[in-house]
Amino acid sequence: MVSGSLRIAARVGVFVLALALWQVLSATGVLSKDSFPTMTSTVSALGHQLGTRELWAAVGQTLQGWALGMLIGGGLAIVVGSLLGYSRFAYRSVIPVIEVLKTVPAIAILPLAIIIFGATMQMKLFLVSFGIFWPLTIQVIYGVRAVDPVVRDTAQVLQVRGLRRFGVVTLPSAAPFLATGLRVAAATGLILAVIAELIGGAAGLGLGVLTAENAGPSELPDMYALILVTGLLGVVVTGAFMAAERRLLHWHESQRNRSSARAS
Amino acid sequence: MSTTNSPRDAGGTTLPASAPATAPAVTVPDVAPAGSGSAGRPGAPAGNGQRGPAGNGRRRAPAALRALASVWRLWFFAALIVAWWLASASSSSPYFPPLSEILHRLVDLWITGDSKKDLVPSLEHFAIGYAMAGAIGVVGGALLWYFRHVRDAITPLLYFVYVIPSAAILPAIIAVLGIGNGMKIAIIVLASVWPTLLNTVDGMRGVDPLQLDTARVLHMSPLRTVRSVVLPAALPQIMAGLRNSLQISIIMMVVSELVASTSGIGFFILDAQQRFAITDMWTGIIVLAVVGSLLTLVFVAVERLVLGWYIGARAVEGKR
Repeated sequence: MVSGSLRIAARVGVFVLALALWQVLSATGVLSKDSFPTMTSTVSALGHQLGTRELWAAVGQTLQGWALGMLIGGGLAIVVGSLLGYSRFAYRSVIPVIEVLKTVPAIAILPLAIIIFGATMQMKLFLVSFGIFWPLTIQVIYGVRAVDPVVRDTAQVLQVRGLRRFGVVTLPSAAPFLATGLRVAAATGLILAVIAELIGGAAGLGLGVLTAENAGPSELPDMYALILVTGLLGVVVTGAFMAAERRLLHWHESQRNRSSARAS
Repeated sequence: MSTTNSPRDAGGTTLPASAPATAPAVTVPDVAPAGSGSAGRPGAPAGNGQRGPAGNGRRRAPAALRALASVWRLWFFAALIVAWWLASASSSSPYFPPLSEILHRLVDLWITGDSKKDLVPSLEHFAIGYAMAGAIGVVGGALLWYFRHVRDAITPLLYFVYVIPSAAILPAIIAVLGIGNGMKIAIIVLASVWPTLLNTVDGMRGVDPLQLDTARVLHMSPLRTVRSVVLPAALPQIMAGLRNSLQISIIMMVVSELVASTSGIGFFILDAQQRFAITDMWTGIIVLAVVGSLLTLVFVAVERLVLGWYIGARAVEGKR
C-alpha cells in the first residue's frame, strides 16, 4: 500500500515537475516569449476559455466529426471486413488492394476532399471515415479468420448459420481484434479530425488553434490552451476505449492475463 | 515449457489463447496486421524454429515460383484499375479526370519532368526524422526499461504526450522552430517516436524472467544480456512499434509540407489543388500512394530479414 501511494505520488510529481520546468524555461526566457507563453498564462487562458461557449462548441464540433466518422468508417469496415473474412478467395484477392490503400496516407486525400466538400463537416467526416476504414477492415478480416477451427466445425455440425452464426461464433472470436482496431481507429480518427480542421479549415478545435496562431503572439496562451484541450480530449477518448475494452472483453484471455499479471 | 506456448495449446478454450493483436501490449496501439503484431511470448518460439525438416521442405518452393503463384491475387487490383479507367474515360467532372489523362500527366511531370525534385526534400526529412525517431525510441525505451522506477513515474506523462493529436502541436513547433527543415524533422520525430518507445518498453518488459535469471546466473554482462536475451525477445514488438512509427512519419512528412512549405510532395499536392490543377493533384496523390507503399514494402522486407526466425516459428506453430 505504501509503495502504491508512493508510486502515485511519483507520477503526480513528474507532471508537476514538467509543468514547473515549462514555467521556469519560459519565464527566464530560455524559450522565447514570442513563441512560448509561460505555463501560468496558458493555464489562466485555459481557465478563462473553459468558461466560454466557443470552446465547448469547438469541442462539440470536433467530437461530432470524430464520432460520426467513426460510425460511418467503422460500420463499413465491420460489414466489409466480415464479408471478406468469410471467403478465402475474396480475402486473398482484396488484401493486396487494402494493404496498398492502407499505406496511402489519408492525408493525401485531404486536398481532394477539400476541393469537393469545402471546409465543411462532410469533409471532416470523409477524411475520418476514409482514414480509419482501411486499417480497421484489415483488423476485422484477421479477427473473422481467427475463429478456432474446432468452434467453426462444431457450428457447422450444429447447423448454426447466417446471422446467428455471426453473433455466436464470429463476433466473439473477432471481438479482441475489433477492440484493438477500434481503439487505434479512435486515436487516428481524432488526429484526422483535428487535421481536417487545422488544414482544411472545418470548424472545431483545430480551427481554433489555427485562428489563435494567426492572431499573433498575444493569442499565444490561447493557442497553447487549445492544444492542451485537444490533448485532454485525446486522453479521454483513448481512456474511454481502453476502459470499455477491459469491461466488455473481461472474459477474454488477453484481458484475464492482464488482470492476473497486475495482481501478482 | 515456454516453448510449447502455441496459441492453440495454451487455452483449449473456444478462443485462441493469445490473439496476436491483443497480446499484453493492450495499451499500445498496434496497427500492424496480426502477423507482426505484438507478441504474446516473444521468446517462446525460438526453439520451434528447427522443428521437422520435412515440414520446412514443403514450404521452401523456389522463391520465383512462389512469387508467380501469388501473382493471381493481384487480379482484383488490376480489375479496379481497369474499372477506374473505363468509368473515368469519358468523365467530364472536373474532380475526376480520365485516368488516361492522369497517367499521361504523371509521366510528363514525374518521369520526364522536374516534379520528381519535389520528392527529394520530402524523403530527406522523412529519412532523418524516421531514423531519429527509431533510434530515440529504441534507446530511450531500453533505458526506461532498465530504470524501472523512472519508468514507473514517467509513463503516464509519456502516454499523455502520446495521445495528444500530433497535428495539434504543429503550430507550437512552428512557433518555436520557424518553418525551416528543422521544424519538419522535429515534427516527424516528435509525432512518430512514441509507438517505438512504448513498444520497446512493453516488449522488454515481456521478457521471460526465467531467461533473465539464467543470464544472471551465467554472469552475463548487462550489455551481453541485452544483446543476446532481451533484444531478441523484444524484437517482434519493437518492429511492430517501428512499423507504426513509419506510418506516422509518412503522414507527418506530408502534413508538415501542407502547413508551411514551398517544396515537397505535400506542397505539390496542395499547390496543385489551389491552382485548381486537379489532374496534377491526382498525379501527386498517386505518387504519394506509390511512395508510401514502397516504403512499407521495404520495411516489411527488412522485418522479414530481421525477424526471419520468429515468423518462421510462428508459421510452424500456426500450421495444424
